[in-house]
Amino acid sequence: MKNIVMKTPFKQRLKMILAETVTQIANYAIILILSLLVGAMVIYLTGKDPIAAYQALWKGAFGNWYKVTDTLDRSTVLIFSGLAAAIAFRTSIFNLGLEGQLYIGAFAAALVGFTVKGLPTGLHVPLCLLAGALAGGIWSLPPIIFKLKWKVPVMVPTLMLNYIGILFTSYLIAFPFKDPTAPMAGSPVLEATARLPKLLRGHTLNIGFPLALAAVFLVYWFMFRTKLGYELRLVGYNPSFAASTGLPVKRSSFLAMMISGMLVGLGGSIVIMGFFGRFMGGFSVGYGWDGMMISLLAQNHPLGVLPASLFYAALANGALTMQSTTGVPQTVVVMVKGTIMFFVTVQIFSSAIRRRFQKWTSTSAE
Amino acid sequence: MAEAIAVREITKCFPGVLANDKVSFSVETGEIRAIVGENGAGKTTLMNMLYGLYHPDGGQIFVKGEEVKIPNARAAIEMGIGMVHQHFKLVPSYTLGQNIVLGIEPKKGLLIDEDSLVKSVQEVSGKYGLAVDVNKVAADASVGEQQRAEIVKALYRGADILILDEPTAVLTDMETEELFVMLRGLANNGKTILFISHKLREVLAISDNTTVMRQGKVVGSVKTSESDSCKLAEMMVGRETIEGRMRKEDPEIGAVVLELKKVNVLNSRESLAVEDVDLELHSGEILGIAGVDGNGQEELTEAIMGLRPLVSGEILVNGVNIANRTNRQIRESGVAYIPSDRNRAGVAVEAHVWENLLAGEYYIPPYSGSINLHPRSIHSNACVLVERYQISTPGIKTQTGHLSGGNVQRLIVGRELGSDKAMVVVASQPTRGIDIAGTEAIRKILLEYADRGAGVLLISADLDEVLALSDRIVVLYEGKHKEAGPVVDGIRLQVGHLMTGGEGECPV
Repeated sequence: MKNIVMKTPFKQRLKMILAETVTQIANYAIILILSLLVGAMVIYLTGKDPIAAYQALWKGAFGNWYKVTDTLDRSTVLIFSGLAAAIAFRTSIFNLGLEGQLYIGAFAAALVGFTVKGLPTGLHVPLCLLAGALAGGIWSLPPIIFKLKWKVPVMVPTLMLNYIGILFTSYLIAFPFKDPTAPMAGSPVLEATARLPKLLRGHTLNIGFPLALAAVFLVYWFMFRTKLGYELRLVGYNPSFAASTGLPVKRSSFLAMMISGMLVGLGGSIVIMGFFGRFMGGFSVGYGWDGMMISLLAQNHPLGVLPASLFYAALANGALTMQSTTGVPQTVVVMVKGTIMFFVTVQIFSSAIRRRFQKWTSTSAE
Repeated sequence: MAEAIAVREITKCFPGVLANDKVSFSVETGEIRAIVGENGAGKTTLMNMLYGLYHPDGGQIFVKGEEVKIPNARAAIEMGIGMVHQHFKLVPSYTLGQNIVLGIEPKKGLLIDEDSLVKSVQEVSGKYGLAVDVNKVAADASVGEQQRAEIVKALYRGADILILDEPTAVLTDMETEELFVMLRGLANNGKTILFISHKLREVLAISDNTTVMRQGKVVGSVKTSESDSCKLAEMMVGRETIEGRMRKEDPEIGAVVLELKKVNVLNSRESLAVEDVDLELHSGEILGIAGVDGNGQEELTEAIMGLRPLVSGEILVNGVNIANRTNRQIRESGVAYIPSDRNRAGVAVEAHVWENLLAGEYYIPPYSGSINLHPRSIHSNACVLVERYQISTPGIKTQTGHLSGGNVQRLIVGRELGSDKAMVVVASQPTRGIDIAGTEAIRKILLEYADRGAGVLLISADLDEVLALSDRIVVLYEGKHKEAGPVVDGIRLQVGHLMTGGEGECPV
């Protein structure tokens, strides 16, 4: 029999991997530079100095050791919600309810944190995290059940449950669990045993960040190395194909949605248990929404979520410093983000770069 | 009577196919002309050229005696040509009246003049006896009403030549009767009607003349009253001895591996698509299911594969009833599936080649443990399959969408048959739209697989394919099965006769 499979020589395979890596890096570098240029133009037009503004931005994000750990801390919740979005989007489940799931999860964690007393930290913290994950997961279920039972697209119910979730938690802290001593609307303070242990004295960074790192690799392993993950991905690619090849389409959709809700619920819990110490109304500045953008930026790949989240966190922290020291409004950063998303979604550069590499990678085939 | 429409030596090429090859015929004013032929004979292509949707590569079109070029549908409408497509193109949320006048609404200032809308539509529909409830929303109208609205829509635009593409395919028997009365009335009023059909009984009932097409050519035009279903079937499928027979003469036929008993299945419109079908497939046998597309083939295969519920009946695989089990259970009982729509149900085009090759067995050793996938055995098996089924791909980590149709089909066949576990193969349109080398290869694989003792159910609208591969042929017509018998000389005509709705046997 004629051998059609090209046993790709090792050297060429290496070239292909290298080319793809360089392509991705170059792609994102070009996008970043272009977007920053657009931002710079706007800063310049408003009469401010773009270089000074960007310097302040950099200083705010990575200027000193404290800023670096602060940025890492801020990225923690973004990593969780980015992973939540990635796992759902990969399965073609358009979970737009991350924000609501985040609030519900965070509140459940807080509830366990301030009502359960007398546990050691080693038990109390995991219990709170578990409660947060479960609550986030459960809050995500009605839309997927509607979808599986009555073919209701998940987008609308997930979107609507955001408002219900956010307002419901606001109600809870305004009435049943109101703490009159809180400066703003908030729940009672968490027991000290429910606070996340700090990693460094005097820094905000806590064990949430290493947990997020672990989650990145866990989700990667789950999606690409396990049977369930394989099912999720194939269902995401083409549900009719999955169904006619015997894959459990309904189970996969259900699982993807639940894991998505659990991850973002966990993220919300960590913000409350690590940073605020009590549940606060409106504590999330769009972490759930950012998660979707981060996932998009990472092409729904769990490993890509990590750099994308760090980038988002750096922009958020840097923008604060930029605004306070140079007077350039934070909205410039929003614009830069928007430009980045635009270039990422239109995907014009990667194919152009890939074309350039094509000749190079195929040369050693003969 | 004067000539209404005529074509002379019309030719149309699509990449790799000669869809229309020097087609000529002419239709008189006030005539009902049936155009018949197998799937892919070029009927719809021809009609689309008359309506300006395609442009001929050569030849002439004459409308009312004058040679014309028809650049688009608008021009066709201006020449008085109207078309009713097989799938209606009404706006579901509009009323039938609004649909009829869409684009040429009577206006009062900037607003639509509802009164004169109703009046003008009723005028047209009354003139030809086509009752249409103007105020009914299209989504609530029955299929027959929608079709009537489509016809009125064409007439409203001044059509006097009407083209209908398989108008009866979606109608009930009652509605078909009504349609025929309407068509006859229109013809008596001087309208010219061309309609495409696969049902010779209807052709014989309504048309004045019949043009038969085969493989892009006109076989002939006959006066319908002087013909019969056997003669037309013969023109459609030919009566030559079977060419390119690939099946060996004395296969070893064993026990029954797949048995269908009184199987009934609904289609997506909730009407009966498969009716009381009985089938018996033996080990080592290739059973061809012939028939024009849309006669229940899709619903039947999906029911066997557990993708569509049975209303009633039994499906036995090696004696075990698998009716209404899950797809996975059915596969595990030894059924392999080659779906007709490759890219929808056969592969995930965005997934890698190895991921698609794995899909049938990813959940059992050696490809996975209780949780983890085992990449090493997955990849080595994928490489073996790629080599054995000669799937031409740069590697197993290539996106499947980059492969040609023939190679995608090899991939599917490799996945389904590569493990040698299946005792029953359900192959639906296995070579549709793929290149000659791929077609050859797929057919050889199916033949060899049957020789190793499996039963192959070959569902195909390609009569030549069914004749080349099958040991025995059953025809599906309007959801019912009709036994055509073992493949011997002369069966070609019989199959053609049965798949166009004929009963009994044709004189040889």
